Amino acid sequence: MSAFEVSIDGSPVEPAAGWTLTWLDAAAGIARLSDGSRSEVCLVEGSGTDWVVTLRGRRIPVAVRTWREGVLADAESASSHHDGPVEVRATLPGLVVAVAVQEGDEVAQGATLLTVEAMKMQNEVRSPRAGRVAALAVVAGQPVAAGAPLLRIE
Amino acid sequence: MATSRSDRGPSLRKDRAPSDAGTPPFRRLLVANRGEIAVRIIRACREMGIESVATYSDADADALHTRLADAAERIGPAPASESYLSIEAIIAAALRSGAQAIHPGYGFLSENAAFATAVEEAGLVFVGPPPATLEALGDKLAARRSVAAAGVPIVPGLLVPLVADGQGSLASVDLGGVRFPALLKAAAGGGGRGMRRVEDRSELEAAVAGAGREALAAFGDGTLYLEQLVAPARHVEVQLLGDRHGSLAVLGERECSVQRRHQKLLEESPSPAVSPGLRAQLAESARRVAATVAFHSAATVEFLVDAEGGHYFLEMNTRLQVEHGVTELVTGLDLVAWQIRVAAGERLSQAVLAAAPSGHAIEVRIYAEDPHANFAPVSGRVGAWHMPDGPGIRVDAGVTAQMPLPVEYDPLLAKLLVHAEDRPSAVARLRRALAETVVGGVQTDLSFHHWLVDQPGFLAGAYDTDLVHDLWGDGPRLSDGERALAAEVARQARGRSPMGLRRGGALVATESAWSAQARREAVGRRRPA
Repeated sequence: MSAFEVSIDGSPVEPAAGWTLTWLDAAAGIARLSDGSRSEVCLVEGSGTDWVVTLRGRRIPVAVRTWREGVLADAESASSHHDGPVEVRATLPGLVVAVAVQEGDEVAQGATLLTVEAMKMQNEVRSPRAGRVAALAVVAGQPVAAGAPLLRIE
Repeated sequence: MATSRSDRGPSLRKDRAPSDAGTPPFRRLLVANRGEIAVRIIRACREMGIESVATYSDADADALHTRLADAAERIGPAPASESYLSIEAIIAAALRSGAQAIHPGYGFLSENAAFATAVEEAGLVFVGPPPATLEALGDKLAARRSVAAAGVPIVPGLLVPLVADGQGSLASVDLGGVRFPALLKAAAGGGGRGMRRVEDRSELEAAVAGAGREALAAFGDGTLYLEQLVAPARHVEVQLLGDRHGSLAVLGERECSVQRRHQKLLEESPSPAVSPGLRAQLAESARRVAATVAFHSAATVEFLVDAEGGHYFLEMNTRLQVEHGVTELVTGLDLVAWQIRVAAGERLSQAVLAAAPSGHAIEVRIYAEDPHANFAPVSGRVGAWHMPDGPGIRVDAGVTAQMPLPVEYDPLLAKLLVHAEDRPSAVARLRRALAETVVGGVQTDLSFHHWLVDQPGFLAGAYDTDLVHDLWGDGPRLSDGERALAAEVARQARGRSPMGLRRGGALVATESAWSAQARREAVGRRRPA
């Protein structure tokens, strides 16, 4: 019955059938999800095509598109999908405590690049994809602002 | 620019309790902390008829604790080193506001001897132990020596610092019988910082050099010592409350083995691992540890318990613990109120000294952390915020709906506590409470807690400090069932929204859409699923 295509992490998902959504706090997006015998509270946030559903404490980003929006999104992603450089930036303001790579190093996807201490914790920054480290812009002991460029993967 | 806020109008005055609990020990108390613990202390003050003064950095000008107190004093810019850790700024705020006492909460300056000294020198009362006690216990290595001398078992290992001379001398130094793997610790450390696991003696030289630099950077003191790694182990701590007249109450234990990065995620009391015999031993050891220092106020003595039921002293923390509420639920006592009374010189009552824990309590900590990404802290803004209620539930929160999360501080948002007649009922109550809890805007560790309350090891009470590492990792993958359910929720949400258009990509529920939805629900026009 739905005119929407639903996907999670870029893969199409067939929505579960037989569940009723009853709003507990419609303004906040809190609802009870029930199949007649089981029920649980969930949260849904978002608008348009981009939604986040929280189930049992876990946030799940969900894309809900019309056929037309889907075609447009695919075209956009195809044009932006390339093997060009990826800028790695600090997600939180903090202090660079260790740099695990040097310019020119070949790294695998998920490899630890550096460690940034923020909110009293040491967070590892990992490589978004395989490639070569370039334009390393920080050294250990250097404070960084949120969004500051750390290095580039080429 | 004004540096203080005046009291908030006469309407707030009315809800201060007429002091039917007797004369308040202080007229006005300054809270030198933030977040949920500041809120907790402000609540205790209100019940005791004490005026509360919050302190806030620029990042916390609109924080919950800033709003809830009777008055609030700005103490500096966002970085903790210039605000919540600034002794000068806090003493000045206390004097400016006319406070008679300062409660330091936990963390920040709570165990800082220089701060306690400065408070006393300013003619104010420090809600905590004497500065000399903080000084003595701040050196973990010295504390190990005095506790061992008092006949309390300590983790096997060195009683003297381990020093690397860079010439390989560690290869031949006497390690006091420590076997590997071992744990390298900073004498000035605590809370899991400056700790390093050493797998083999050949790694020791390099580990000492690295950990020494880390400890020096973190604590200004690079002194290290080596302990036997106790594994598997449980982390069990004993709550103490003492007055200035020599009375000491031992208020049972808390089980704190659910940890990541040596920091706790869930605590319960009593510990499922502690037999009546071990409980008596732990209480006796805790008394002996407390007797090594001049102690009053609230404190916790932490122990490791090994698989054979042997216990070893870890450290004594002379402050309120994050998890103090667990003990409050099983004993019925208000530890914060008693800290304040004891600071003013009151004696512990017979009711406190004879307190007998009853039932079972569990606390889960709600952190803005992603348990699916190595519990990395997340920044952003809390969206929806719905906490559970009903029988046996307590929530100590430092935030509420639609609040930004300052990145400068610890990401603890709230503590959810449950109390029931026994452990199975408490676990069932916790499961029910988690099902009612909703936090939007940021990922929290709630998904970990949902998982934990269904784990056979947790249900059996058979778990140790490796639980998170061994069984959770980054958590289970999203199942097909969960994906299908999330897809259905999002599909229905969009399908019912009158606006099918993207609104700048912002992941915020649009008021009008939800209101319209509520109206449709109200008139009962429900589409079949």
